[in-house]
Amino acid sequence: MNKAKKLLYSQKVAPYVFVLPFVLSLLIFWLYPLISGIVMSFQEVSFGGKTFVGMTNYQKLAGDKFFSTAVKNSVEYMILTLILMIPIPMVLAVLMESRLTKARGVWKVIMYVPALTSVVISGLMFRLMFSEGDNGQMNVLLHMFGQPSFAWLKTKSTAWCALLLLCLWRWTGVNMLYFISGLKAIDTSLYESASIDGANSKQQFWYITLPLLKPTTIYVLTISVFAGLSMFLESFMLWNGNSSPKNIGLTIVGYLYKRGIEKNDMGYACAVGVVLMIIALIINFIQLFATGTMSFKKKED
Amino acid sequence: MKKKWLALLMCGAMAASMGVSVYADEEADAAEAEATAVTTVGPEDGTHFELWTFVDLHNEFYAKMVEEWNELNPDKQLNVTFSTYPYGDMHNKLMMSLQAGSGAPDICDIEIGQFPNYTGVDCPLYDLTDALAPYEDTMVQSRLDVYSKEDGTRVGVPTHVGATVMYWNAEIFEEYGLDYKSVKTWDDYTALGEQLKEASNGEVYLTSVDTGGVDWMWIAMAEYGEDWTGGPGGTPNVQLESVEKMMTMQQQWLNDGIAMISTDGHTDTDGCRVPISEGKIASFPKAMWYMSRFTGYEAMKTLEGKFDITTVPVFEEGQKCSVGIGGTGTVVTNECENPELAAEWLAWAKCSPEGEAHIWADLGFDVCNTALWSDEEFAYDESNIYNTFFRVKPYEVLNELAEADAIGTVYTTSASPTINDYMCTTTLNYVFEDGMDVAEALQDAQDYIDMELS
Amino acid sequence: MAANTPKQKTMESNHKVGTFLSTGLFVIVCGFIAFPLVAGFLGSFRPGSEVVTKGLSLDFKSPLSLNNYKYLFAMFNPNNKDQTALVDSRKYFMWYKNSLVLTITTVILTLLVCYFIAYGLTMYKFKLGGFLFFMVIATMSVPFEILMLPLYQEITVLGIINSNAGVILPGLCAAGTIFFFRQYMTTLPKELLDAARVDGCTEYGISVKIMMPITKPAFASQAIMCAMGSWNNMLWPMMVFRDTSKFTLQIGLNTLLTPYGNNYDLLIAGSMFGILPILVIYLIFNRYLVDGMTSGAVKG
Repeated sequence: MNKAKKLLYSQKVAPYVFVLPFVLSLLIFWLYPLISGIVMSFQEVSFGGKTFVGMTNYQKLAGDKFFSTAVKNSVEYMILTLILMIPIPMVLAVLMESRLTKARGVWKVIMYVPALTSVVISGLMFRLMFSEGDNGQMNVLLHMFGQPSFAWLKTKSTAWCALLLLCLWRWTGVNMLYFISGLKAIDTSLYESASIDGANSKQQFWYITLPLLKPTTIYVLTISVFAGLSMFLESFMLWNGNSSPKNIGLTIVGYLYKRGIEKNDMGYACAVGVVLMIIALIINFIQLFATGTMSFKKKED
Repeated sequence: MKKKWLALLMCGAMAASMGVSVYADEEADAAEAEATAVTTVGPEDGTHFELWTFVDLHNEFYAKMVEEWNELNPDKQLNVTFSTYPYGDMHNKLMMSLQAGSGAPDICDIEIGQFPNYTGVDCPLYDLTDALAPYEDTMVQSRLDVYSKEDGTRVGVPTHVGATVMYWNAEIFEEYGLDYKSVKTWDDYTALGEQLKEASNGEVYLTSVDTGGVDWMWIAMAEYGEDWTGGPGGTPNVQLESVEKMMTMQQQWLNDGIAMISTDGHTDTDGCRVPISEGKIASFPKAMWYMSRFTGYEAMKTLEGKFDITTVPVFEEGQKCSVGIGGTGTVVTNECENPELAAEWLAWAKCSPEGEAHIWADLGFDVCNTALWSDEEFAYDESNIYNTFFRVKPYEVLNELAEADAIGTVYTTSASPTINDYMCTTTLNYVFEDGMDVAEALQDAQDYIDMELS
Repeated sequence: MAANTPKQKTMESNHKVGTFLSTGLFVIVCGFIAFPLVAGFLGSFRPGSEVVTKGLSLDFKSPLSLNNYKYLFAMFNPNNKDQTALVDSRKYFMWYKNSLVLTITTVILTLLVCYFIAYGLTMYKFKLGGFLFFMVIATMSVPFEILMLPLYQEITVLGIINSNAGVILPGLCAAGTIFFFRQYMTTLPKELLDAARVDGCTEYGISVKIMMPITKPAFASQAIMCAMGSWNNMLWPMMVFRDTSKFTLQIGLNTLLTPYGNNYDLLIAGSMFGILPILVIYLIFNRYLVDGMTSGAVKG
């Protein structure tokens, strides 16, 4: 009894106890459904059951132009969000934490609120703002300049502006919070000694803030990569459904949803999901190895 | 010191949240009693069914029908639990549970566009042919057919015909001294549009063209007796004379400034109800059920007494001029333990005179039981809001259609979701927004559909 | 101009200009961010149909009324005579309560479980560690939609369909949260652990007594994230719950959108009031985040 207890409390066994829930959850709620999903991508699923169809789903996928549009849109969206959603919140966070900004608490709260709003209501509000009708805010603006109403959500460039604005609107505050949380972990004495050594604020940012923010940046980058690739809700909100004119808002997950749910082709949908998973895995791991997050073990060895 | 303060704050926050939820809990106890009363109808010892729908009003209707049934059938008491889910989620959930083989309701509403997903191989729906037999003669056949399997087995009970008619803002035409009643063909209609454009200085559009809906194409197909799905078991083909003619004509309207493009894609959107209620769109074809939008939306209520309803123009005289669009088929699933009783009740609730009376009065639908159409008491009752809202009693138009046998059929098959999707996202946008050549756009659509369905 | 002034003064005026610019920037950014919120808030005091037909507007002149909220709170008003309002209001607060219970449970359980997992992964060198961390990243890369159908079948078999457990358990080990805790803990000194071990503290004791207090800021930010995700989550709870009486607020609000005339009055007012609990959580933890940070790490 005592021995068992001792073993349980030993430094060797403890980590396994800590990660046990993860292992269980991984097996039950991830690995099993995942394998089922992958198997299903080689099947045709109907009410009676599943029949193996080999690579048919994947072959069809290769020639599917909706799918290639979806992949292109998702990857484009991911890249654009990375360009916008990392530097902007980071700079805002640094400014927010600097002594320069007054009334910080107020700004912080306001910037975070959009993320708290429900999908239904924020979708409704953005649809109204970018509405092609004469009452949409953007068209009211155009009218001020004597321009006629414009169908914002029917042209790719303007629709994507709306989409990215929606993304910025919803998530800038959240990402900023992550960076602020990262900034807080930086020892302030570093700045003090740097400033005694004569480093200006620009140098302090490049040589202290940026390197020490790395763990946070990697975290934000990682979740942004996947959030960007799996974007669906924003598009769904903006076009009030899964169909956008000329598919300018179609994303991979949107297509998966369309196939699996709207057209009841679960096998094909799973094939779409598997491709998405592969793309996401590749990008995530390239990025994780490039930033050194995954190689920590070797360093310690 | 600081830690203690923080711990206190945490506890405070927790207590506050708990307080709120306990308070809400107490209130909810009262609410629960109420909620169960609302969502479950019938005596506890009655046969239990679970019923899902995506419109709360439908549940209110079904609840009434359960009560009436229990009064009439003391030996076959029902106890039904109703759930209303958001549209997309209900279908999503139904599909999942039927595929998983458990968790599906006994009775469920399925929107017509989703219906083909359920009628294929290993159809998980109960055969309703016997239950519907007593009503078969007087029901609109095409409406029963759309909720049937390829072999003709009935698996869904229709709610309405959804006959397309023309809605006219009569006040506008009166204001400009134009006569809309004599319009018989699309040529007449186009000419009227020119007159309206001139009279109103181009401020009022004759109609609005849909880029996100295929109603116009359905009307054209019904008029020529064509069907782009090829019917049950047929080969889909969108390169039809009817479709090409309709698109070309509409494209011309846009070029001539007679018509506008429907805000947000089609006339049944919040966006498009604005120009309709503001009198910018003078007329549009839509199914009978669109009447309920006039009474359901605040902005549309102001149009009371202004709108008239007639039959839709045709390309050539003598053609059919209407088609059943939209709808909900109610099904009994194979997970139901007492399917015979469920089917019997369902058929009675939706096809019998008792049920149809509620469908017309409460939901505002053109009912499928034609025996009632000319029934004075049923169809022309002044207490029915729709009989006074419009300048014509809706069933007069419906009888006109019935007499001329003018309601055509376009099927919803397993190819429909693909065709509709491509039309609404791509083809209609190419043609109306970008002015692409109609033949070219249809070829492109056909290519996609062939590839997709091969 | 700046070149002619003494250095000290330049810096001071630079500071003032900086304050002005940076504060100004936030004023502008927040203005843009607040616009839809304020317009939506004002909209909740107008008839829903007006918002939809006339669009969002900051027009303060058009009349505002409390009617939507009177409707929403009908169940708390003993003088209420409107039965429909009463039923709608009761449903609304039933959903509200469900969401509160679900969110609070989810946040507490998820944070604790994820914290210990991350602790195990970060603070020890063990055989499976690297592989398991790899798996954490891997789980983030798989879209939920592909897991949904098999997961649904599994939940049904396990008998936790239509229950809070069915909603919470599959998402309990949230990869994002584990990853965040891990990223946070890597910046903390491991020497603390050894010191505590010397003092005779057990492995589990260290994780609770030593490490947890230092990771408070991480808890705070993840509490907000987790609460937000749970409060606004819709797809999965929708699959799991079967009774209207168990619906969460988001599902319930969505049922108000129907083809027969959307209940915008209730939808907009209900959504605005629905932000409140999550806003309160944010305000509580946000303050804690700012205050707790500096003292925690120094004092240990």
